[in-house]
Amino acid sequence: MSEETVARPGETRSFGQRLRETDLAGIAPFVALALLMVLGYVVNENFLSVNNLLNVATRCSFIAIIAVGATFVISAGGLDLSVGSMTAFVAGIMILFMNGGYMADGVGLVAVAILVAIGTGALSGLLNGTVTTLGRIEPFIVTLGTMAIFRSVTVWLADGGSIAISSSTMRSYLRPIYTGEILGLPVPVWIILAVGLVGAFVLYKTPFGRHVLAVGSNEEVARYSGVSVSRVRALTYVIQGVCVAIAVVVYVPRLGASTTTTGLLWELQAITAVVIGGTALRGGVGRIWGSICGAFMLEIVGNIMVLSNFVSEYLIGAVQGAIIIVAMLMQRSLMRKG
Amino acid sequence: MARDAISEESMPVLEARGLAKSFGPVEVLSDIDLALYPGEVHAIIGENGAGKSTLMKLMAGHLAPSRGSISLEGETLRFSGPVDAEKRGIVLVHQEILLAPHRTVAQNIFLGRELKRGFLTRDGEMNRLAAAALSDLGAEIDPRAVVASLSIAKRQLVQIARALQVPHKAVIFDEPTAALTPFETEALLKVIRDLRDRGIAVLYISHRLPEVGAIADRVTVLRDGRRVTTRSAEGLEPVEMARLMVGRDVSQLYPERHVRAGREMLLSVENFEVPGLAANISFTLHRGEILGFAGLIGAGRTELMEGIVGLRPSHGTLRIKDRPTRFSSADQSMKAGIVYLSEDRKGKGLLLDKTLATNLTLATLSRFTRGPMVDGRRENAALDKAFTDFDIRARRRSLLAGQLSGGNQQKLLLAKMMLADPKIVIIDEPTRGIDIGTKEQIYRFIAELAEAGKGVIVVSSEMQELIGICERIIVMRGGRMAGEVTGEAMTEDEIVMRATGVESVEEIEGAMHA
Amino acid sequence: MRRSLMVGLAAALALSAAVPWASAQDNEKKDYTIGVSVPAADHGWTGGVVYHAEREAKILEKKYPGLKVMVKTSPNGADQANALEDMTVQGIDALVTLPQNSDELTDPVREVKDKGIFVTVVDRALSDDSIHDLYVAGNNYGLGHVAGEYMKKNLGKANVVVIRGLPITIDEERQKGFNDAIKGSDIKVLDRQYGNWSRDDAFKVMQDFLTKYQNIDAVWCQDDDMAVGVLEAIKQAGRQDGIKMVVGGAGMKDMIKRVADGDKMVPVDVLYPPSMVATAMDLTAAHLYDQAPVRGKFILDATLVTKDNAMEYYFKDSPF
Repeated sequence: MSEETVARPGETRSFGQRLRETDLAGIAPFVALALLMVLGYVVNENFLSVNNLLNVATRCSFIAIIAVGATFVISAGGLDLSVGSMTAFVAGIMILFMNGGYMADGVGLVAVAILVAIGTGALSGLLNGTVTTLGRIEPFIVTLGTMAIFRSVTVWLADGGSIAISSSTMRSYLRPIYTGEILGLPVPVWIILAVGLVGAFVLYKTPFGRHVLAVGSNEEVARYSGVSVSRVRALTYVIQGVCVAIAVVVYVPRLGASTTTTGLLWELQAITAVVIGGTALRGGVGRIWGSICGAFMLEIVGNIMVLSNFVSEYLIGAVQGAIIIVAMLMQRSLMRKG
Repeated sequence: MARDAISEESMPVLEARGLAKSFGPVEVLSDIDLALYPGEVHAIIGENGAGKSTLMKLMAGHLAPSRGSISLEGETLRFSGPVDAEKRGIVLVHQEILLAPHRTVAQNIFLGRELKRGFLTRDGEMNRLAAAALSDLGAEIDPRAVVASLSIAKRQLVQIARALQVPHKAVIFDEPTAALTPFETEALLKVIRDLRDRGIAVLYISHRLPEVGAIADRVTVLRDGRRVTTRSAEGLEPVEMARLMVGRDVSQLYPERHVRAGREMLLSVENFEVPGLAANISFTLHRGEILGFAGLIGAGRTELMEGIVGLRPSHGTLRIKDRPTRFSSADQSMKAGIVYLSEDRKGKGLLLDKTLATNLTLATLSRFTRGPMVDGRRENAALDKAFTDFDIRARRRSLLAGQLSGGNQQKLLLAKMMLADPKIVIIDEPTRGIDIGTKEQIYRFIAELAEAGKGVIVVSSEMQELIGICERIIVMRGGRMAGEVTGEAMTEDEIVMRATGVESVEEIEGAMHA
Repeated sequence: MRRSLMVGLAAALALSAAVPWASAQDNEKKDYTIGVSVPAADHGWTGGVVYHAEREAKILEKKYPGLKVMVKTSPNGADQANALEDMTVQGIDALVTLPQNSDELTDPVREVKDKGIFVTVVDRALSDDSIHDLYVAGNNYGLGHVAGEYMKKNLGKANVVVIRGLPITIDEERQKGFNDAIKGSDIKVLDRQYGNWSRDDAFKVMQDFLTKYQNIDAVWCQDDDMAVGVLEAIKQAGRQDGIKMVVGGAGMKDMIKRVADGDKMVPVDVLYPPSMVATAMDLTAAHLYDQAPVRGKFILDATLVTKDNAMEYYFKDSPF
């Protein structure tokens, strides 16, 4: 037992060793997704039609993009409950800016509005980040507070109603962001892929990403290693804010409005997607593609329910809950083997 | 006093025959024969991983043996679990403190077996009995005190008092002195002697060899899961015990010391204060010097060092090579050439759930980049170098830091901090929880650092270790400097006197029996 | 506009706080206070309720000098119960309330009633019918029934999908009205799912319906907010040609506008106007000042809004 063979410099590993070291936990959500797809096909053959899958992929883009940001926050040991109402808030600001008549309608205004949205998102995230780190308050409480603040400020801005794009030309400029296609894939799907790629690069390949995981794994070790824990944590909230803004940029073109139900309970969906995707809530592990997969799974569960004929509309919630739990159980059993 | 004349006819309380334990395909303990007689202190010694803990868990019913048998007063039996063993009079005192920190001493001692009258607990009676039990152990602890307010040593005593509440024939102590100061250790050893004199059988597990020599009647040595020998402790010198444990001669535990005079000053600390924890601290550190910091637990040594490197708020003057500085984070002090290796390796030193390479480069990640990316190849090269330079032994490169043994973790932590290329290295408890073979290596690394011209500060509760490797030792007491010893004056007595504030050895003993 | 509203509201609150003292001294009781307690704007329709309540408050205060109207919004039932207590303490002569839900607020409203205060309940009836002096409500059953009748008359044989709201009484009544209206006709309901009175959820459900069914003639979604999501899903799928109509309900201004503009997809809307709170306030003030015997139930018609009468129901400034 006490005998430890020394790992030789530059050793080569056998295939078996590599297989053992393969991250089964990372694959688990994709296995669960595949099983869900089979279930979907059994329920309704149309499920596997390209159109349906693209619909679902497009629809899940908001949660998927937000979940990428949530992966950063959660893997650094934080939590952001404000993302849903932040979505409504950022969408409201973006639309009010477009309605404000600061510029002539056109592609230029679209571009500036997108920048305004991303700036608003980043600042909103910075607010969450600085209050949690400098104020040393539990992120649960801080973001619960900002969740209420974003929501009610949005309602105030909307005078109790909804904020809609007033110009129909602007709507037609924006619409392609949600409905357009590039090489046969809807634009939102490309945006998910782009956000995923950038997110994975930052989290897995850069020193900042390492620091995020280190802070989430053990804050004290990170601090004793000279990592600025507050800075890293605060930046994860900024990343979350930017992701929310990107989701808004995809969301606003769809219905052209921020309403009182915009983003409602999205925080829970995003956190669920992250956890289904294999990221631990206690921090230290982050799985970007898992989170995206998780968001896709959540949307697919809803889709299957509507497509099926044998579940009463009253029981859909129960079945969705059960499917999520079963997916988690399958994933956990795979993890244990890994 | 020594029990070399235990009569072979007297019946052992607890006896193991051919005891073995496997976890999966790995047999961690093989063919252990062990007899524990009433009124003896039987020490089990061995390096980390030799099987001491496993043996203890088997004897106390925490684990079931794979082979072999245990008999209690001649009757062969299988414990169904620790509760069963306890009912039969076998009590285990854990190394870790397993108490509810926010409850009182008496509540902890009677936790789960409260005295009741109807539905009401009899608090007065429990407090009285708790006080009596504690004073039996020679401890003056208020039974109404909250456990969290007690020192580690006192908590240890509360834990022992709790264990001894049940009728007991045999008591097993698992490294009971690991967190204790010499003074507290001495008090505990007295408690154990009292138990023995009452005819209780004591199984005592430790790797502090001088202590074993002082308390044990017989010693069993384990190595690699096997019993090497069982013999009388009389005349068994610590060096010989170490040889039996390691399997080779370790008489040269500490490296040769080369004292050089008239060296350049690296660090000077003047009137330094860490609010509430250490005050009025002034000292200097020179090139090539190994400076020790001794003191009791809670004397403020760790906090002082954390203050110096910017991990805690502090006041006072800090000069590096005569340039005044001040740090507000470990990042800043690292850039200025000072690194601090925490005593709490698992909590503050290494990310246990991350790979070796990730841990190695964490503090110096900006040096392992190519463009915006972390350069995995350079990281791997650094890991290879660390493996050779620090003799880190890992079964696979892909292991997680938490899967390494304590000694290898310490070497990895050393390697990690040396990547920052420091001029001043502060090491807190460098050999805590490390076996003797690795200790020797760590001491050699420390000596090499000094020889390479770095200034080294070693904080340790093991006085022998400080005496063995340091040129000068500063003793702290209650957050202040209580003196400095050097040269011939570096003896345990001199250090203990300053650490406790008691003038003479006689007085210490007097204080102990008061 | 918002700022002036806020200022007006603040002034009204400040004044009304002083009123009980004044009215206690003045035996002629020309000064009255009406407390209005409604849910906070948590979706479009309730947003409309708040708008109309505040608008009507100003109109009434102008009409009856000496009348003070205080409007309070509450995000949930417990808060609304607190708000009722606060208003009673401040002194009110009549209460107009749209309860968050029937069960939770029945007793708090009863306590107000027991103080001798005139109680008008709007939209959601309390569990105990004997509490209210006046009950003003839209016709949920009628909302479903009118939509069903219209579809039966104009579609003949047709496949319809239904998007429901949330599983509460209002939704059940609307469904029942719709079912009764199409009974015995050639209209076939392919599927029903909940859209939670949310645009986004209705969009998703409609998108899935479009995948599931190749032949859909009409959509009934009983709420205009959800109709917005439904129309968007249809447009995106390019199925405008197959689907003949989407019938919503409530009278959201965007939908009314579409009807008025002659949108082919939205030929009609069915009223369930948030302005019913204004009607209730109006009747309550009339009771106080005109000594008119306004008691009992006032059920508003579920008016069918067509291209011809649409502009009558269009409030440009309303948030809903």
